[in-house]
Amino acid sequence: MKVGIISFAHMHAHSYAQAIQELEGVELAGIYDDDPERGQKAAARYQTTFYSSYQELLASEIDAVIVTSENASHREHVVACAAAGKHVLCEKPLATTAEDAEAMIQACREHQVILQTAFPVRYNTAILRAKAYMEEGKLGRIIAMKGTNRGKNPGGWFVDPQKSGGGAVIDHTVHVVDIMRWFLGAEVAEVYAEVGYQLASEIPIDDCGLITMEFNNGVFATLDCSWSRNQSYPTWGDVTLEIVGTDGTLKIDAFAQKLDVYSNDSGHIYAYWGDDMDQQLVHDFLDSVRKNEQPKITGEDGLRALEVALAAYQSARELEPVRIEKSQA
Amino acid sequence: MHHVLVVGAGTMGSVHARSFARMENVKLAGIVDIRANIVGPLAESLQTQAFASYEEAMAALERVDIVDICLPTDLHKTYVLKAAAAGKHVICEKPLAGNLADAQEMIDFCRERNVKLFVGHVLRFFPEYVQAKRLVDSGAIGEVAMVNTFRGGIFPTAWKDWYADVKISGGLILDMIIHDFDFLRWCFGEVERVYAKSMIGRTFARMEYALVSLRFANGVIAHIEGSWAHQGFSMKFELAGKKGVIDYDSRAASPVVSTLRKQEAGQGGVAVPESPLRESPYFLELQHFLAAIERETEPLVTPEDAYKAMEIALAALKSIETGKPVSLAHSAGKGGDC
Repeated sequence: MKVGIISFAHMHAHSYAQAIQELEGVELAGIYDDDPERGQKAAARYQTTFYSSYQELLASEIDAVIVTSENASHREHVVACAAAGKHVLCEKPLATTAEDAEAMIQACREHQVILQTAFPVRYNTAILRAKAYMEEGKLGRIIAMKGTNRGKNPGGWFVDPQKSGGGAVIDHTVHVVDIMRWFLGAEVAEVYAEVGYQLASEIPIDDCGLITMEFNNGVFATLDCSWSRNQSYPTWGDVTLEIVGTDGTLKIDAFAQKLDVYSNDSGHIYAYWGDDMDQQLVHDFLDSVRKNEQPKITGEDGLRALEVALAAYQSARELEPVRIEKSQA
Repeated sequence: MHHVLVVGAGTMGSVHARSFARMENVKLAGIVDIRANIVGPLAESLQTQAFASYEEAMAALERVDIVDICLPTDLHKTYVLKAAAAGKHVICEKPLAGNLADAQEMIDFCRERNVKLFVGHVLRFFPEYVQAKRLVDSGAIGEVAMVNTFRGGIFPTAWKDWYADVKISGGLILDMIIHDFDFLRWCFGEVERVYAKSMIGRTFARMEYALVSLRFANGVIAHIEGSWAHQGFSMKFELAGKKGVIDYDSRAASPVVSTLRKQEAGQGGVAVPESPLRESPYFLELQHFLAAIERETEPLVTPEDAYKAMEIALAALKSIETGKPVSLAHSAGKGGDC
């Protein structure tokens, strides 16, 4: 199977490229990037062809494409992939507006190609174990969830709203909202958010967010999606969940499998030794492509999570809870 | 020498009584509780007198300077007013009252009677919290933007199960995470907006869990998690600023952890973490209150602080009820000190 990558704007492109290289019978057949220098460098690193236009890449003999361009470019790239009959794994957030996300879902449906949203946390082994534990019913009825997906400010295009659609809220809401929806089998019905612009002094972008949600099954939840890890923090960030049920609680720290390293060169850092979720994500996507079946995470999943992030911005503007009106997809 | 009468021999009453008993400038005049089987042994061990009622104690004792009220919240007002009417300085456990009108009346009456009113927001005397505030104030992590706190453990058990009645205790929001509200207000100033969700009305299970979102006037966003749904008490906070992060977890910061082999009785097997200090925060708090009386100085926790903390807690309860954010923008000037 041959796979292409559109853009190395998002750093996850590298872990996806490595995942492809590690898989038997899969070839990274080409890379397009609107930044030729970045694209050529990646092509050299992964020993593949650099294309200076994505149309050329899509005209080549590839089966699937991973889209890791800037958030605002997802629509253009995914719709082109669909038109060329290529299956797509698209980086999160799926888009920067619900309208774009719907158009992408529609295009992929029309051309009968898979659209999978890249939510790698669903493949984190600790998250999978927690889901299995919940399915055993030992926690009783779930009442509440408290999540964090904190990180460092990634800078670059992430802090340019024209390209990213927003800061921490759009970047870090979608992962954990997706996990909560998946765990509960329920949809977010209402969103309230406090959004802050306080940590980055130079560029005004939302870097703090606290989102409170009400699910349509009566569960309430919060999520801290802030870029609140300072540069010297020992790790990139976290994904944690505290789940409260009538018969018990479950605490998940998805990246707790680490060593504490104290070095004169780099200070205190965490060295993660748990399973590689990005590899599982790519593996599962290609498996769906091979079997030509529905992906485990759909474009609709990406849209639902995006809607929560967009509602959070709206709530912070209006200082009111916002009901989620499901977009059509 | 301060002659102190402790009213209530529950969890906090016994902690206070034990602290007073060790102070050289205090005579623990007596302990009051309607439960003779509890107050008797406590009074005996502290070499003081047990009384079945406040009135009985006041009639019997030659001298009382300070009345320390460690009763369920709904009884605070009655006894604060009685003590103040008798011209005694008053120490009252938090929350000061169950509603703001009562709190204001208590504050006003103490001022009128010219007696001091101290409220037990003891977190301001916990060294980890004091140290965190000092670091924030010194700019160690830059301007703070995002705060997360946790406080909780198992559902508290007490006389008549009064914690379980939200009308009496205010639940964990008014009774427990009011500590965090007060601490954060001490650090970051006034709260502008409160939004909250809790288990209230969602289940009949004997448990409570609340997630509160606070927006401070200076822009800080704080998330306060309170639980009576977990096992074993713990408290945590994380303060994230422009230059760094301060992280505290009471479980990780316990230098002594004992675990006993399982006994035949079925006990043991559970790790018991301890954070020993030469003087407990409760001891330091009560000493501070006494010093404020002796030196006529403003205490670290004023009645206004207690009022403001209640205001935040009650706003959270209102938000839970209405599903809407509650603004505190126009509440300045209330409270006052005595």
